[in-house]
Amino acid sequence: MPIYDQGYRPYEARRPLRTLRFWPITREALRLLLARRAYLGLLIVSWLPLVARAIHLFAVTRFAEAQRVLPFDERTFGDFLNQQIGFALIITIFGGAGLIANDLRTGAILVYLSRPLTRRDYVLGKLGVLLALNLSVTLAPALLLYSIALSLASEEFLKLKLAWIAPAIVVQSIVVSLVLSLVALAISSLSKNARVAGLAFVGLLVGLEVAHGVLRGIYHRPESALLSLQADLRAIGGALFGNTERWLRFPWPYAALVLIAVAIACLATLRARVRAVEIVR
Amino acid sequence: MRDTSRPLPFARAAGGVFDLTLDGLVWSRRTFWMAALLGLPVVFGVLYRMVLASRLPPQLQPFDLYGTIVVFYYLRNLVPLAALFYASALVADEVEAKTLTYLLTRPVTRGAILVGKFAAYLVTVLCVTLPAVVLTFFIVLTGGGSHSVSAAVPDLFRDLAVLAAGLLVYGALFTLLGVALRRPILPGLLFLFVWELLANLPGYLPRLTVTAYLRSLVTHRPAEEGIGELFGQVLPASLCLEMLAGMTVVFLGAAIWIFSTREYVFDQ
Amino acid sequence: MSEAAIEFRRASRWYGQVIALNDVTTTISPGVTGLLGPNGAGKSTLLKLAAGQLAPSQGEVTILGQAAWGSPEIFHRVGLCPEPDAFWDGLTGRQFLLALLRLTGYDEAERRARADQALALVDLEDAAGRKVGGYSKGMRQRLKLAQALAHEPEVLLLDEPLSGMDPVSRRRVMDLVKKLGREGKTVVVSSHILHEIESMTRRVLLIHNGRILAAGDSRELRDLMDEHPHTVSLRARDPRALARSVVSSPHVLSLAFGSEGEWVTVQTARPDEFYSALPEAAIEAGVLEMYSPDEDLESVFKYLVAR
Repeated sequence: MPIYDQGYRPYEARRPLRTLRFWPITREALRLLLARRAYLGLLIVSWLPLVARAIHLFAVTRFAEAQRVLPFDERTFGDFLNQQIGFALIITIFGGAGLIANDLRTGAILVYLSRPLTRRDYVLGKLGVLLALNLSVTLAPALLLYSIALSLASEEFLKLKLAWIAPAIVVQSIVVSLVLSLVALAISSLSKNARVAGLAFVGLLVGLEVAHGVLRGIYHRPESALLSLQADLRAIGGALFGNTERWLRFPWPYAALVLIAVAIACLATLRARVRAVEIVR
Repeated sequence: MRDTSRPLPFARAAGGVFDLTLDGLVWSRRTFWMAALLGLPVVFGVLYRMVLASRLPPQLQPFDLYGTIVVFYYLRNLVPLAALFYASALVADEVEAKTLTYLLTRPVTRGAILVGKFAAYLVTVLCVTLPAVVLTFFIVLTGGGSHSVSAAVPDLFRDLAVLAAGLLVYGALFTLLGVALRRPILPGLLFLFVWELLANLPGYLPRLTVTAYLRSLVTHRPAEEGIGELFGQVLPASLCLEMLAGMTVVFLGAAIWIFSTREYVFDQ
Repeated sequence: MSEAAIEFRRASRWYGQVIALNDVTTTISPGVTGLLGPNGAGKSTLLKLAAGQLAPSQGEVTILGQAAWGSPEIFHRVGLCPEPDAFWDGLTGRQFLLALLRLTGYDEAERRARADQALALVDLEDAAGRKVGGYSKGMRQRLKLAQALAHEPEVLLLDEPLSGMDPVSRRRVMDLVKKLGREGKTVVVSSHILHEIESMTRRVLLIHNGRILAAGDSRELRDLMDEHPHTVSLRARDPRALARSVVSSPHVLSLAFGSEGEWVTVQTARPDEFYSALPEAAIEAGVLEMYSPDEDLESVFKYLVAR
C-alpha cells in the first residue's frame, strides 16, 4: 500500500507564504550580474544612443536647419526603441543564457524548489532579472529621452495630442522586454550549458532573420517578416509610433499573434523543463 | 603488445578520442536543434515548390533561390555559427564537466586529444549540414525541370566543398579561440558579425577575413546590398584554397600548442 | 628501503600570490601512503603535481623516474582516481571503462576482459549496462576507482576515494587498497578523514600550509614528539591511591581527577617509563580501565597543525 494511502497527511504550513517570494531570486541574480564589470560596461554602452539622441534634440531646438535635415518628432522615440532592441538582445544573451541552465547543471534548482517556493515563483524570479535588465535599456532611457524632450522642447511635445507617446514607450518596452526574456529563459531551460544556451539563442535569432530574408526573396511579400522575431517587435513599435517601415507593411495584429504564440510556447517549455529532478533512463 | 615507454601512436589515440567525442556529439540535444536550424532551408524549398505549383509567378528562379540559400543562409550565417557552437566548446565542455582529467591521465598526447575532438566536430557538422544542402538543392531545382538539375550538379558539388571548407576553417579558428580564451563566445560573435564585414570593403582588407575567400569560391553571386554591392571582390581560386588551407593549419596548430602547454585545474 | 616511486625535490607551486606548495622535498615508496591535511593544506596540489596535471613552479617532481608533467607515457603505469564527481553521463559504466581502456592502448579483447575485471573488483557488474547518469553517488565513486585500476598501474593516486560510499563498499575498498600495497604497488590516498587513513596504513604524509609537517609511520611520529606530553587516562577503584603512587614519579608532569571521581588523567613526558612503572601502582590501586586519547593519528595531526 503506498505511503499516501496509509493515513499520510500532507504538511499543512501554519505560516502563510510571503507574497513577493520571487523577489530574493531576482535581487540576488541582479546583484551577481551587476557585480561583473563587463556587464556594467555593456549597460553603459547601451545608454550611449540616449546621449546621442539628447544631443540631437538639443541641436534641433537650437538650430532650425537641424530640424529640417534630421527631424526629431514623435516617431523618433519609436526609432530609438527599435535601436535599443539590439542592445536588449545582447544583454539578454549574456545575462539570460545561464539563468536556468546553470541551475540545472549544478542542481541548484533543487535547492530553490526545496524552499517554500513554487516553480512559478522560480520562473518569475528569473524572468524578473531579464525584465529588469531589458527595461533598463529600453523603458528607462526612452522615458528619460521623453522627459528631456518635454523639458527642452515643451512647445513641441507638451501637447495633448502627443500624450500617447509615454504610454506607447511603456507598452513597446514591455513587449520587447517580455518577449526577449521569455525566449531567452525558455532556451536556457533547454540546456545545462550556459554557452550552448547563449549560442542557441543567437542561432535562433540569426537563423530566423536569414530565413525571413530568403522567404522575402521567394514571396516578395512583407508577411515573410513575421518569421523574424525582431521584425515582429519592430512591427508592433511601428504600429504604436506610426513609423512602420516599408518592409513591415502588414497588419500589426499578425505580429502580435506571432509574439503571443511565441510567449505561450516559451511558457509551455518552462513548465515542462523547470523541475527539481530529472529522470535518467 | 603495448609499448609502455611511449604515448599511444597519434592516429590511434586520436581515433579513440574521436569515437568517444562523436558519441557525445551525435546523440545530443544540441545537435538535434542545430540539425533543425540547418535543415530549415528544406522547408523553404517546399514552400517554393508550393508557390510554383500554385502557378504564381516566382520572384526568384530556382537556381537563384538555391544560390541565395547557399550564400546568405549557410555560408555567411549558419556555417560560421555552427562552427562557433561546436568548435569553441570542444575543450571547454570537458573542462566544465570536469571530465578532461580522464583524457589527460591516459598515455595519449594532448595534440591527439584535440585532433580527435576536432575530427568528431567536423564529421558531426558535415553530416548535419551537407545532406540538408543536397536535399534543398533537389527540392528547389527540380521545380525548374530535370535539365536544370543536371546542369547545376557541378555547382552543388562545388558548394558542398566550399561549405565543408568553411566548417573546417571556422572550426579551426573557433577551436583556437575556445582553447585560448575563457569566454570565447563574445569574441567569436564579434569576429563573425563585425570583423568579417571587412570583406565588403575595397583593397586588401577583405584578405584579412575568412568569408572573402569562401565567397570567392562559390559561383553564386546573389544581389548584394549596401557597400557589398559597391566593393564586393572575387579573389583568385588558387589564392583562396591556399589561404584557407594555411589558416586551418595555423589555427589548429596554435590550438594544439596552447592546449599542450596549458594546465587545467578544477575547482572543488 | 624500496626505490621511491614518486619524488619531490624542492618542489613549489604557486598560483599568483598564493603559495600552494612550498619547497617540498619528499619521496613516496611502494606501499600505501596516506596524504593528510586540512582543507587548503596543499594535498590536492601535491597530488596533481604527482599526477602530472600541474607543472611545478620550481623544483622537480618525478614519478617512476620520469618528470610527471609533460610525460603522457607515464599513464601506462599510473592511475588517478580524481576527486570531482564527473562522468560522461550518456555512457554506461562498461562503455566508460572500455573507452578509457582503448585510450590506454589495449586491443578489444583485452579491453573487455579488463573492464569486466575492474567492474567485478568494485562490485559494479550488475549495473555495468546502465547509464552512469542513473548511478548513485557510491556507484559513481566506485566507477571512478575502477577506471584508475583497470589497467593495473604500478602507481595509484586516489583523491578522497571513499567519499559517498556505503560502509560495506568502504570496507571493500580499504581492503583492496591494503592488498595493492602488499603487492608492492605505490598507493597514495589523500583524505581528511583520519580514521579511514588509519585503517589503511600507518605510513602518512602530513601536510599543512603547503609544507610537509611530518612523514613516516604514524606511531613513530607520535613517539618522536617528546615535547608533547602523552595523556593517559586510568579508571581505578581507589583513584587517590593511584594518584599518590604515580605523582612521585619524575616523569609525571601533571595529574587531574575526572569529574566522576573514578578517573585519573596523567600527563607524562616519558610514556615508556611510565607504562613500565604502572603495573605495581595498578595492582595497588585496582586499575580497572586505561586508555590514551592521543595515541591516534588525529591527536598527532592536531598537535602538529596547532604548532
